[in-house]
Amino acid sequence: MSPIRTAHARTSRGPAALAAPSRRSFLVAVAAGLGSSAVLSGCVGSGGTESAPAGGGGASGGGGLVLQNSIQDEGPKAALTTLVEEYTAEPVTMNSVATEQFRAQLSTYLTSPNPPDVISWYAGSVANTYADQGLLLDVSDLWTGDGACASFPPALKALSTSGDDAQIFVPTNYYWWSIFYKKSAFEKWGVTPPETWDEFIALCEDLQGQGVIPLTNGIGTTPWMASGWFDYLDLRVNGAQYHRELLAGEHAFTDPEVVAVMDRYAEILPFFHPDQASWDNQQAAVPFVQDEAAMYLIGAFLTNYVPEDQLDDLDFFSVPVIDPSIPSAEEAPTDGFFASAGTADPEGTKAFLSYLASAESQAQWIAESGSANLPTNPDVDTSGFSPLVQKGIALLAGTEEITQFFNRDSSDALQTTADTALTQFIANPGDVQQILEQWQQAAEAVWSS
Amino acid sequence: MTVLERTPGRSGPRSGSGAGSDPAAARRPGPRLRAARRVPPLVWAFLLVPLAVEMFWVFWPALNSFSLSFTRWRGVGPAEPVGWANYQRMLDDPVFATALVNNVVWVVGFGGLSVAGGLALAVALNRPGRGVGVYRSAIYLPMVISLAVTGLFWRVLYQPDGLVDRVLTPVGLGGTAWLANPDTALYAVLVAAVWRQVGYIMVLYLAGLKGVDASLEEAAAVDGANAWQRFWRIVVPQLRGVSTVVFAVTVIDSLRTFDIVWAMTRGGPYNQTQLLSTYMFQQSFSLVDLGYGSALAVVIFLLAIGFIITYLVRQARAED
Repeated sequence: MSPIRTAHARTSRGPAALAAPSRRSFLVAVAAGLGSSAVLSGCVGSGGTESAPAGGGGASGGGGLVLQNSIQDEGPKAALTTLVEEYTAEPVTMNSVATEQFRAQLSTYLTSPNPPDVISWYAGSVANTYADQGLLLDVSDLWTGDGACASFPPALKALSTSGDDAQIFVPTNYYWWSIFYKKSAFEKWGVTPPETWDEFIALCEDLQGQGVIPLTNGIGTTPWMASGWFDYLDLRVNGAQYHRELLAGEHAFTDPEVVAVMDRYAEILPFFHPDQASWDNQQAAVPFVQDEAAMYLIGAFLTNYVPEDQLDDLDFFSVPVIDPSIPSAEEAPTDGFFASAGTADPEGTKAFLSYLASAESQAQWIAESGSANLPTNPDVDTSGFSPLVQKGIALLAGTEEITQFFNRDSSDALQTTADTALTQFIANPGDVQQILEQWQQAAEAVWSS
Repeated sequence: MTVLERTPGRSGPRSGSGAGSDPAAARRPGPRLRAARRVPPLVWAFLLVPLAVEMFWVFWPALNSFSLSFTRWRGVGPAEPVGWANYQRMLDDPVFATALVNNVVWVVGFGGLSVAGGLALAVALNRPGRGVGVYRSAIYLPMVISLAVTGLFWRVLYQPDGLVDRVLTPVGLGGTAWLANPDTALYAVLVAAVWRQVGYIMVLYLAGLKGVDASLEEAAAVDGANAWQRFWRIVVPQLRGVSTVVFAVTVIDSLRTFDIVWAMTRGGPYNQTQLLSTYMFQQSFSLVDLGYGSALAVVIFLLAIGFIITYLVRQARAED
């Protein structure tokens, strides 16, 4: 500490002599800054156990429930708030946390002695990991008899079932991924949606010839967007079964099957907007909206990024078939809720989950949030939904296989390896062999940990 | 400050440390024990309570981080001891290597540019003149903005078709995706960080320059030294004290840089702008791999503490 004090004494001579009070206060701040930087440098290493606040904190029995959620977009959040406020059985406290922070603290929520009762998150591997540790409430009785989820499609039930055959998740909505385009723009350019891969490539070349950028994407701060294309190309080239096995570590990213996927990816790289690496997925919608770029492979949440007066103009087609012998597959990430095993009020928690899963709640949430998400409850009357959403329902109803998304079918850690590999591949497609080797190496570290 | 004013004869400008911090003890030197006993209990309370708080909230978690670095822990269940596995993994981890190299680039680039820039600005603005105050305030102003906001602000500037792009297009440097191109991204972030730091360094040097004895410079001028010689031979040696502080602050600041990189690139594109701190954060809090994250934190800690000890030792020698 002594050198810092020396400096303080030294430097303060000047301003004192000049009698400039403003500079004196400057120096006080400077000295404070010096002190704090010395302390903070010690703090860098403190990101361990104690630093994450317990957050949330559940209610003890009878005092109401706590709903911990990570909903960010304005419409969906407001709609959920309304739903929660209208729940009359008991008071529910709703805590909304930014997704990144939520993800990091989720395990802390679940393991805290007084956990939040109901937690919003994703179905699939993440939920199952927590279920394996005994942290999630068994909600199997909601899935049988006249339970709220009893009539849900079997695919959703399978997705909500943990390793020991119990249902631990209540899906409330899902959405589809597809290649979106604007009807008016396609009309203007005189093109139609393609059916096959060759037609798709021809379409891209045609658009490029007209001076239109065929594809947009935002892989800057949302590098996971690059996995959308990877997933779909793998589903089209190798099929859903192989894709799931690949993400589970049963195949290697250096396999010839994956190389074939990357060959297809390389084929479409020249058609992407050159600025895609600078954008996030929302910015990437701007050239799409302005008819500078024609198509965008993205989830139905694109409707949140498009001006309201263009929503009716929006249409989509499924990623074209590459190998007709491969069963059709679509990505449909499923959102919903699970409950803490440690809840003080399991019955109240299940009652609240039933309320959230009910047809009325789902219909109300979808209507109010203005999202293009689909209800998981088949009793929801979808006839009033927009044609786009109707088409989305038909798409998912007609497909043979459903996957979710890279991270949801594997883990966030594996997603990070994909982000690195795919963004690097997009920048330097020639290095594909080396990139796949590094990817495999990083993935093995994830699978073995 | 008070020490200097009260005992000007005793402690010269270079020894504001040690016994000087307690004027009473300095005037009547006695056995240390007796001096300690004379300290009123209230003062002890003021000393011990913050120490206890600091111990609990800073040192205890920091120590935990050391023990965690020898485990595999996902934040759920008991941590599983793995010995040195996390450190071995680091040796084979290409991202760790990138981050380490980037950290060196960062310390040198950030330190060098902000010190050179800050000193140049201080010298340029250390003279009376119209509007000098405005310039000084304007240059210091970025320091007021938090690093995260600085990052967001510069991200907008670096956008394709953004301000930086438009300004540089006439010079033939347009069309570069500054933050998306792995060759430029780290330096683009560096420029933003220096932009913020330079005013701070300038203020430190301005204060130092006020203490420079003008008569020495005049004497040198009379002896025929040119401006360059006067600056390097007369002014810079007198700034030594400030320079060591600036050096310490800059190195510590650059080792703990995190927010601006996270706000601008998140370590991307494909980990090319990853620093040890951002990589540690990603591993610990995005991927919840707390064992490996803690091991990274320990490495950062050792680097920082290594520097601080070297610096303190050097400083103590200089004081003698």
